[in-house]
Amino acid sequence: MDSSTLLATADNAVEPAPRSQTARAWPDDGCSRVPNWVYTDPDIFVREQNRIFGANDWLYVCLEAEIPSQGDFKRSQLGNREVVAVRGGDGAINVLVNRCAHRSMQVCTANRGSTKEFVCPYHQWTYGLAGDLLGLPFRRGYRGQGGMPADFRPEEHGLQRLAVTQRHGVVFASFGAPNEALETYLGDRMLGYFDRVFDGRDLVVLGYMRQRIPSNWKLMFENIKDPYHASLLHVFLVTFGLFRLDQQSAVEMDDTGRHAVLVSRKGVQETNEATAQMRAFKANFSLRDKRLLDPVREFPGDATVVMQTLWPNLIVQQQSNTLAMRQIVPLDAQKFDLAWTFFGYADDSPEMRQRRLRQANLMGPAGLVSLDDSEAMLLSQAGIDGNDEETCLVEMGGRAVTNEPHMVTETAIRGFYQHYRSVMGL
Amino acid sequence: MIAAAPGLDVALDLRARLVDLYCAYDNALNDGDLERWPELFADPCLYKVMPRENYDQGLPIAVIYCESRDMLVDRVVALRETALYAPRIVRRITSAACLRSIGEDGLRLTANFALFQTTQDRPSEVFLCGRYQDLVVDDGGVLRFAERLCIYDSTIVPTSLVYPV
Repeated sequence: MDSSTLLATADNAVEPAPRSQTARAWPDDGCSRVPNWVYTDPDIFVREQNRIFGANDWLYVCLEAEIPSQGDFKRSQLGNREVVAVRGGDGAINVLVNRCAHRSMQVCTANRGSTKEFVCPYHQWTYGLAGDLLGLPFRRGYRGQGGMPADFRPEEHGLQRLAVTQRHGVVFASFGAPNEALETYLGDRMLGYFDRVFDGRDLVVLGYMRQRIPSNWKLMFENIKDPYHASLLHVFLVTFGLFRLDQQSAVEMDDTGRHAVLVSRKGVQETNEATAQMRAFKANFSLRDKRLLDPVREFPGDATVVMQTLWPNLIVQQQSNTLAMRQIVPLDAQKFDLAWTFFGYADDSPEMRQRRLRQANLMGPAGLVSLDDSEAMLLSQAGIDGNDEETCLVEMGGRAVTNEPHMVTETAIRGFYQHYRSVMGL
Repeated sequence: MIAAAPGLDVALDLRARLVDLYCAYDNALNDGDLERWPELFADPCLYKVMPRENYDQGLPIAVIYCESRDMLVDRVVALRETALYAPRIVRRITSAACLRSIGEDGLRLTANFALFQTTQDRPSEVFLCGRYQDLVVDDGGVLRFAERLCIYDSTIVPTSLVYPV
């Protein structure tokens, strides 16, 4: 075909409607196929913000330990909106949208700190710790001129305040009016795993990491719901037996499929029927300084790793002795931030504290394990872009959504999309 | 280049040896010769990469945290043998180091760094910038880092930090 034919064809063709305006049809009647447009379509992203992040679900905000005293605040991002969590005068935690009721300016610019009030820098509208509008300059005008209308009611113009709930030091909030308590929202099974780490002991924040990853936010969730990849991609995990599919494992979900856990037990560095299939397994690689992998049992039961994914924005990481909240902050259809808050317990021994700092070498943007994941997500999105009409295959372990006592399955990804489809109306 | 804080009298030959150390560090990493990198540290040592946010708040978590030369070697071997990452060139420009003090434990210096990352099919971009806080010691006649804290200014790392800072 020469170029003149191409032009003629183009002239005669009816221009298709923009892709994002055509009806989006899920490629199958289940969730073992995921259409690529869920990772690229800006209209889908907007719908996610409304229906997932801006609706009645409980979203992770921060740890109570980050704001222990009255006036302490911490900024956080829930979906693509920014909030400030602040400890009020009564000791309660308020979660306020970081937007002045006047001209929508952000009223809080520090990530973390302590204050008596929030003052908008633009026109100095001043808000209390519960978001109530305390005052504004020239409300009554000047020498009888100007000012706000007589019927202006300050109590109607506070910072938007979210519904808030807490459990064992973890703060959640919702833009809507949640119709379930957090405990019901998580379900008994997930609550059990949650309470395993958050057992009521005081927490200590050890520090932050944050990375900006050029991929859709859902790929992060899928990554932590996919134990199949861990045995193949993560040479470091596999070699040292931290997470490998020949070890006793489980993938479990709540009744809706929206939350999940991957559970496993540490194994040894040995060549066997399973590791022989893993190109990743290196029988001869050993660490010179063994302190990097010196895990100590600290939780009841024999699981040594529990990775919990809580809809819609949180991963609770317990890998050996590293504990972290990984908060997912979607920025647009093809970009998200992963915000890590590492923590320990107030009663940790100095040795345990040191162990947590060392094992953090496996996690974060330079993590000897999680580095593989951020790079993999970049490559996933690069393969998805431009291939909107193709689908991803999620059939390992069958097509159903069931809890499984092994790792050779993508069941938790299917569970996620089962719930996603119902919420998104897709 | 090594500058000295006001009032600090530093012999020219010591300055020259420090320049050699800083130059060797930059060259090892800019040339992708990671195996040379641990040799520039004393043993034990402390090598940390952390966001300024953590440093300023006294929070101990670092994205890279090594306490011995062996841990540095382990990281290099892990990067070579186990990690998956797209090919990249990371080039650092290090400012003149400023010798702040000379104490019994060694020489305290600071310097600024800028890291530029180039990946396939993308223009070069500023990746991280920040400052080194160093403790340099005479280790059997050779100057080495006993401590190197790499404190980056941003809270955010673009995608992944593959190579040491």
